[in-house]
This record gives sequence, C-alpha cells and structure tokens, in this order.
Amino acid sequence: MKGLPYKIAGLLLILFSLSYGLWTKVPELPIIEQSIRNLFYHVSMWFAMVAMMAASFGSAIGFLTSENLALDRRSISLAETGMFFSVMGLLTGMLWAKFTWGAWWTNDPKLNGTAITMLIYLAYFVLRNSIDDPRKRARISGVYNIFAFVMMIVFIGILPRMTDSLHPGNGGNPGFNSYDLDNRLRLVFYPAVLGWILLGTWISALRYRIRNLEE
Amino acid sequence: MKNTWVLVRRYFSQEVRNSNVLFSLGLYLVGVAYLIYLLNGGGVPADKVWNSLLWMVVFFGAIQLSSRSFEYESNDYFYYYQTIAGPAATIIAKLLFNGGYIAVISGTTWGLFSIFFGNPVFNTALFGLALLLGSVGCSVVLTLTSGVAQRTQGNATLGAILALPLLLPILQLTSVLNLQAIVGVPTVEALNLLVSLAALDLGIGLLAYLLFPYLWQD
Repeated sequence: MKGLPYKIAGLLLILFSLSYGLWTKVPELPIIEQSIRNLFYHVSMWFAMVAMMAASFGSAIGFLTSENLALDRRSISLAETGMFFSVMGLLTGMLWAKFTWGAWWTNDPKLNGTAITMLIYLAYFVLRNSIDDPRKRARISGVYNIFAFVMMIVFIGILPRMTDSLHPGNGGNPGFNSYDLDNRLRLVFYPAVLGWILLGTWISALRYRIRNLEE
Repeated sequence: MKNTWVLVRRYFSQEVRNSNVLFSLGLYLVGVAYLIYLLNGGGVPADKVWNSLLWMVVFFGAIQLSSRSFEYESNDYFYYYQTIAGPAATIIAKLLFNGGYIAVISGTTWGLFSIFFGNPVFNTALFGLALLLGSVGCSVVLTLTSGVAQRTQGNATLGAILALPLLLPILQLTSVLNLQAIVGVPTVEALNLLVSLAALDLGIGLLAYLLFPYLWQD
C-alpha cells in the first residue's frame, strides 16, 4: 500500500482527537459549557476544507501552466473532498449554533461565507459537467477554480473581519486562544486538523486513482 | 493600448447602432422600477429595502447585459478579433465597456428610484463612488464568467449560476458603503471600506486579465 505511514498517522490522529476530545478537561464557560469541545470536531473541518481547496487551486494553476491532464483530475478530486468537509463543517456548526445561539441558522458573516463557498464549488461542478472535451473542460474549469478560490478567501477570510459577527474569534468575540491558557485545547485541536487533512489527502488520492482508471 | 481604445469604441458604437437592445434594457429598468412602485402601493420603502431593491434591479440588468457580452463574437468573428487585437486588448476593452455600461445602468436605476421613491442618499459623492466601484467589480466577475459560459457553447443560465456566488462579496461590500452614504457617514470615515473595495476590484481585475488568455486556447 502506497503512503502507508501517512494514512496510519492520519487515522491515529483522528482517533486520538475524537476520543481524547470527549475526555480532556475543558475551560468552564457560561452558555458555551461543554459545547466548546466542538472546536475539535467543527473547526478542524474548515481547516481541512481550506487545505483541500487550496491544493485544488494549486493543481489548477499547475494544469494551466503545464497542460498535464493528470493535474486536472487531481484538482477536481481535491475539490470534491473539500466539498465533503464543508458539508460536515456546516452540519457540526449548525448543531452547535442550535444549542449555543438557539437557532440553526443566523445572519452571520461566517455562515454567509460558508453558504457562498458551497454555492461557488457547486457551480464549479455544474460547469465541469457541461463540457465534454476533457482538455477544454480542464482549461475552462481551471480558470474558474482559480478565480473562485480567490473570491472565497476574500469572502471567508477578509470580509468577516470588517463586519460584526456573533461567531467566536470574530467581531470582538474572543477565539479559543484566550481560554486556552494551559494549551489543553491545542493539544487536541492541532492533531485533529492534521489528521483530517491527512485523511482528506487519502480520500482525494483514491478518487484521483479512480479517475485515472476511468480515462 | 491603441487596440483597446479601438475595441471599446467599436463595442459602444455597436451598442448604439443596435438601438433595439439599448431600448429593451431601458424599458426593463423603467418597467421593474414601476413594478416595485406598484407592488409597494406607492409608498416609500425603508432605506435598507430601497438599497437592496436598487441592487436587485442593477444585478439582473448586469446579468442580462453580460449574457450577451460575447454574442457578437461567437466562433469565426472571435478568432478574427483575437488575431488582429490579441487577448490582452480584448479583455481590457471588455472590462472597460462592461464596467461603463453597468455604471450607466446603476446610475439610471438610482435616477429612476429617486423619481419614484425619493432619494434618501445623504452623502451623494460617497454613494456615487461606491456605485462606480461596485460596477467595476461586477464587470470583472461578469466578463470572466460570461467568457467561461460562452466557451460551453452559449449556455445563458450557466453564466448566471457561475456569476452569482462570485458577485456576492462585491455586492455586499458595495451595499455596506451605500448604506453608510444613505445614513450620511462622511467620506473620510468610509475611506477604509472604499480602499478595500477598490483593492478588491484591482485584484480580481488583474486576475481576470491573467486568466483570460487561457480561456481561448484551442
């Protein structure tokens, strides 16, 4: 099996974060209470998503400069995995919001950014499906992918900092850094992020190889 | 640079000569503004609603405009222009033309809204500037996405689907600025947002300029 070490490392890190995340001691805060543990499960999804989308963006640039169709297949495989993580991030976030804010959905810049990101990548999938010629499809969807990724970063990374938000870490609300005085949260959070990114790489690699066989 | 101006002039003269299109766009703007007036029972909408209605009208006008952005350049004509002018001149000319056009659409809509619903804008200069920068941003996104849609054999709805999510960051930023202008925030205090919007326009404009040639290699 190719790349066995990273696959095992990814699985172990995820197992560690899933189990130790439930059991480690967390800061006791009003309203948030135990739901602070969602940091390990929800925020790590977004980190994994951005990593997948960034890799997909990089592969799209690689295709446009080299005209190598394998890079295009890598790009779409990574974008699909990123989409999966964004759905997971959305669901875990909605669950958290229901218990903490009392609503499944609020008009918040972070949530709007998520909705836009999903719309952008769904449009990307629609675009790919509407072109038959592989080389043309790769080039045109590559152009869209690059443009879309930049817009997504602007929307989720820059605009929320300029407007008010209820979300932790935005609009004057403290992020987890300020509670995490003894690095206990970080000890679970960073392994979770790394583990999910490794698992995402694995999923994408499988999808990429299926595509290669189909060609 | 010379080629760009020739192309921009050609696009505009083509638009003026084809007065049917211009007329239908004007009719659309007046018709929709009046429709809102009727549905609203002749009342004056609140500032926020006024602003969002304005952008809805401009948005659909701009989508309609961009969907025929490459209409005259399907296939043979396009290769002819590409060969004599080059892709760089073409994209800049398209951006300028669409930007100017959307600015005219949004200015006209502002005028029509002022007639039907009154003009709630306090800081006119800021509002106009935001409208202009927003139009430029919309033009960049719409020019690129209509180019993309055109390459998939002219699927008009696809253009709208591709453009919609990408337009939202620009429209949101512009509309925040517009609301500030309505409330009467001095231009100096909105400078931060204005510069951000201008930088966003410039950044995506540059990106579109770099990406455009890749769309047309066959």
